[in-house]
Amino acid sequence: MAENLIVYAVVHQPRRLRLPAKVIPQRTTPDEIADYLFDDAMDKRYFDKVAQYAYAPASEMFIDMTRRGWRMSIGFSNSFLVQAERWNPAVLDSFKKLCASPNVEVVCVEPYHSWLLYLDIAAFKDSMLWARKRLEDVFQKPVTVTDTTEMFMSNDVYFALQQCGFAGALMEGRPWQLSGREPTNVYRYAGQRMALLPRHHELSDDVGYRFSNQSWSGWPLMADTYARWLREAWGDLVTLGWDFETFGEHHRRDSGIFEFTGGLPAQLRKQKVRMMLPSEAIAELGQQRRDIPINEYGTTWAGDGGMEFFIGNPAQQGVFRLMHHAYSKARLTGDETLIELARWLLQSDNLHLIQWFGRVGSQAEVSAYFTPDEWWELGSNGIIREQQRVYLNFIRALDSYAG
Amino acid sequence: MIFDPRHTVFVILSFEGPDVYSQAGGLGVRAKGLSRALSEQGYETYLYFCGDPDLPGVEDLEFGRLHYRRWSQWISARHRGGVYDGEDGKIRDWNSSLPASLIDNVIAPAVASDKTVVVMGEEWHTTWCMNLISDDLHYRGLRDRVVMLWNANNTFGFQRINWSTLSFATTITTVSRYMKFRMWEWGQNPMVIPNGIPRSSIRDADPAAVAELSAAAAADLFCFKIGRFDPDKRWLMAMSAAAYLKRHGRTVRLLIRGGREPHGGEVISHALNQGLTLLNANTPADPAGLAALLRDNRDADVINLTSFVPDELVPVIYSACDAVLANSGHEPFGLVGLEVMAAGGLAVTGSTGEDYAEAYRNALVLETDDPIELVTELVLMKERPALVAAMRKKGRATAREYVWDKVIEQLLLRIEFAAARQSIKVTASGAQPREGTRSRARTNPLKAASQTSRRNL
Repeated sequence: MAENLIVYAVVHQPRRLRLPAKVIPQRTTPDEIADYLFDDAMDKRYFDKVAQYAYAPASEMFIDMTRRGWRMSIGFSNSFLVQAERWNPAVLDSFKKLCASPNVEVVCVEPYHSWLLYLDIAAFKDSMLWARKRLEDVFQKPVTVTDTTEMFMSNDVYFALQQCGFAGALMEGRPWQLSGREPTNVYRYAGQRMALLPRHHELSDDVGYRFSNQSWSGWPLMADTYARWLREAWGDLVTLGWDFETFGEHHRRDSGIFEFTGGLPAQLRKQKVRMMLPSEAIAELGQQRRDIPINEYGTTWAGDGGMEFFIGNPAQQGVFRLMHHAYSKARLTGDETLIELARWLLQSDNLHLIQWFGRVGSQAEVSAYFTPDEWWELGSNGIIREQQRVYLNFIRALDSYAG
Repeated sequence: MIFDPRHTVFVILSFEGPDVYSQAGGLGVRAKGLSRALSEQGYETYLYFCGDPDLPGVEDLEFGRLHYRRWSQWISARHRGGVYDGEDGKIRDWNSSLPASLIDNVIAPAVASDKTVVVMGEEWHTTWCMNLISDDLHYRGLRDRVVMLWNANNTFGFQRINWSTLSFATTITTVSRYMKFRMWEWGQNPMVIPNGIPRSSIRDADPAAVAELSAAAAADLFCFKIGRFDPDKRWLMAMSAAAYLKRHGRTVRLLIRGGREPHGGEVISHALNQGLTLLNANTPADPAGLAALLRDNRDADVINLTSFVPDELVPVIYSACDAVLANSGHEPFGLVGLEVMAAGGLAVTGSTGEDYAEAYRNALVLETDDPIELVTELVLMKERPALVAAMRKKGRATAREYVWDKVIEQLLLRIEFAAARQSIKVTASGAQPREGTRSRARTNPLKAASQTSRRNL
């Protein structure tokens, strides 16, 4: 029976591609290329919407809850931070206020929310170190625990994060990913230092995914029921992991998500479930020797938990290959601005939002939900075609700089 | 002997075990018989099983050589319906608590005493546990001191097994060639190590009791069928055959003992619809009581025993009846047929996992699910008493080949192969490698390295 609980939420907004793609004229300067690749206006529209429905009310709710003992950890992608700084500093201020509470721990996230870890593990390390410093500067508190991108974890990534000096990392905790172990313990890769906190897939998705699904047998989910489920979970520690946008965006206010969350602290106290911060759990519960193998192919929290969600269809595979080529070409130019742009083009979102291609079912529905509404005018084949053209245009535009 | 009793410790992991609570089928009998036989041969043997929650968690028998470890008793206490009641919770409990305990309390001390450990997991419930044990052994630097086997006694739960992981961590075995072929469908090619029976089961039942029971049946054909009410056991075929014989003027007494499975209702209905008269009765405590039951109910073609049949009574029935209908359509091994042979009875088997059965030499072996085939065989048997006597005699000889002592001889030889395949580092004073296994690894460092890394994962 789990007596301890970690709550983790990741805040992220993608840097969306500009579709239909725009040809980049020869000799466009590196500083100007971004405008051809990315749709800032669309990003702002979505940011403002999510800020209104989720970031503002949810951070306000959590500020209030942390004053009354609620404890949580929050990860921020740099992609989000950049947008917040540009378009809505008030949202960032609100998060700063929330994170100033001793009951909140800031968690590191791969800053571009990208698959850089697949292309260049050394650059990934540098990027994680940069992200940690960036978060420490913004939120003025030490960052010792990390997420990656889409909660990806693999053997090499584990070692990269350990080399960065993180005390612990989050990972997805489905049975196959843990080789049959329970997700409710603190683990380590054998003989190594860095702790692993597996996310409880089912209990997390009860809120993150199923909460407003009226055909779900657990609907309507009430705080007392959920607190009981948490308490009855097998093991020592339940780690819940959600998008921060769960609160108000994925589940709208009228779903009751705010009332549900607000009611949790009292119900958790009633069930004698103690809320912990990730670093506390690692210090307190990580002393027991619990070794775990780490899947060499990598695990994520999306889809069925493998990389198939991101590179499972031909369209995704095409974009994934173009991501490699774009990054490689940018590296050949030696131009930091172009390399930076290539990193933005590695965003996992660009694969996530075309998972639906050639597929049906609940995962495809989730994927389609994240595809910008405006893109559907292009038709599904048009989205795929134009998305790939963005990469092609970028690669060709670098001819002038790689010669 | 390479794995000699002084330097080898056996660990058996099986949900089923020797307690009444733990017995649901042949696996419990196997776990009980194998563990006892190993300890009788001098091996220190640990049997981890889902034991009776009211019995001690730890029990040492056979002069301290046989150790029962009743696992998940806290769950069993809330799931009184037998070993598979609360099955998923028990699996999780095994996975989360058993590997560390086993390594800390049994394997590590054994290795420290310069012994080699053989861990044998049974059935799909233990597959995760076996993988976890293998992982933990690797992390603790002990994997090369433990031979790991996993055995399939049935096809149950195959769809839940992660075969690639399991075959990486263990050497997979099964109990018959039929099972081997069934496992080809899952991409596996297991080693066959048959089941065994206790030597004590090879004995003549009390002749007077046998004669009395046989006389009490007072039928042209007196048959017995025991097993779960499962379509795989072909109960309907047996009922159809009995009804056919009755319709053709022969008197039939069919004694049956099924389980609590829902198929039982179908079997009973089928018997009644076929024109058989049926009596449900508690099992009498002894042969005399059973004889009285038969005598007092001469009109009953089928007597359905609705309670546990005592171990002492079973061999008497096997011996007294004309045939025991072990006519399954899917039988991974067919322990009943072998037990019938041990008791001097005549078994009618199907044609699947009963590797020991030879048609018209030691058993009647059915090739189809046609009741007419069963009728033909039973009638033939009545017309050929000399052949029947020869089959009973040969059956007894066959049973002797399957006593646990002999099966363990085979098992030990197979373990040698598994040990070589898993690159097990044998102890200085104990198990030594045979020429041609380890020697190859020694002369080929690349191969040795690849075997080691494969095992380690």
